[in-house]
Amino acid sequence: MKTPLLAFTLSMIMCLGARAQLKWEQTSIELHPAATDKQAIGHFKYENTGKTPVHFKSVHASCGCTTAQTQKEEVPPGDKGEITATFNIGDRTGIQIKTVTVETDETPNQKTVLTLKAEIPQQLEVTPNFVFWKQGDMPDTKTIKVKVGKEFKVKHIKVTSSTPDFQTKVEEAGNGQFKIDVKPQDTNKVVASMLTIQAEDSQKVFYATARVTNAPTAPVAPVGPTAPARPSAPAGQTH
Amino acid sequence: MAALALLPAAGEAIYFRDKISWRSAIAPSEMITVEQARGWGDTAIWVDARPDDEFASDHVPGAISLNEDRWNELLPPFLAVWVPGKKIVVYCSSLSCNASREVARRLRKEAQLSDVFVLEGGWEAWLKKNR
Repeated sequence: MKTPLLAFTLSMIMCLGARAQLKWEQTSIELHPAATDKQAIGHFKYENTGKTPVHFKSVHASCGCTTAQTQKEEVPPGDKGEITATFNIGDRTGIQIKTVTVETDETPNQKTVLTLKAEIPQQLEVTPNFVFWKQGDMPDTKTIKVKVGKEFKVKHIKVTSSTPDFQTKVEEAGNGQFKIDVKPQDTNKVVASMLTIQAEDSQKVFYATARVTNAPTAPVAPVGPTAPARPSAPAGQTH
Repeated sequence: MAALALLPAAGEAIYFRDKISWRSAIAPSEMITVEQARGWGDTAIWVDARPDDEFASDHVPGAISLNEDRWNELLPPFLAVWVPGKKIVVYCSSLSCNASREVARRLRKEAQLSDVFVLEGGWEAWLKKNR
């Protein structure tokens, strides 16, 4: 009875030893880039703790915005190295989770998923960033809400319209929030304007669009799923 | 022995089957097939959420580029052609891609547009049905 049990235990230990050759320091990294950063870079360090070389078969990022680089193709026993994952932030906001899948020849189909989590700070959150009136609508005031990110302190914001077709008025709403009232001069003509929103003493520019649109398209018979529920409209927003 | 070694992985796969962490949650009603989207004809605007180089290489005829790399720059031109009542079909490059879901989510949340759909199977599905 003892012999089979011993053999089973030994084979389990051998299996585990043979499996875990590439030991990762961590497979998940959380980054907190600054608002001005263009990239967030994660260094996933590893060590070959096995007795045979490990080869990288493929390294694949989950999205086009992330690249991953290995320092070497082959990792000899006892050697250390890292995979560098570079996430190009672009105009992304909020929490971003990107993964890199690493395939090695340790065992058939041996894959390790490395996770890069980045929280992109946003100085101003502009909602909605689009207000519109249909041609001939009443030229009512519509409101854009601006919320200051928790990491920032903003006392005043400046709003500029690219055309004189829309009037804007900024009002402080307290608690790190502002209201921008937008009103078209005339809804009988199709016009559009870019609203530039900027916090005082900041180079970072945020945008919203105001537009008087032409008549809506004629409805067609539904062939697809029904439209998803629309988020609640802000005060003054009537579509 | 091999079956025993596979047990933890199998258990994890079953437990986390609906929790793919890198994907934005999206309701089935917000997904659309190529056939359904084509049925909408001119009342749909196609939005390409892929990176610039992939859009430049090829795209759905008439599609507008709107990706998160240059969201602030690309959103105003898109809003300039959007018309009330038009449906928006967002696609990206493969089944595992998250870009179209993110672009659709931001159009709903930030621009507060309705009728925003994500194309099932993305660009590859469109290619398969059209070429």
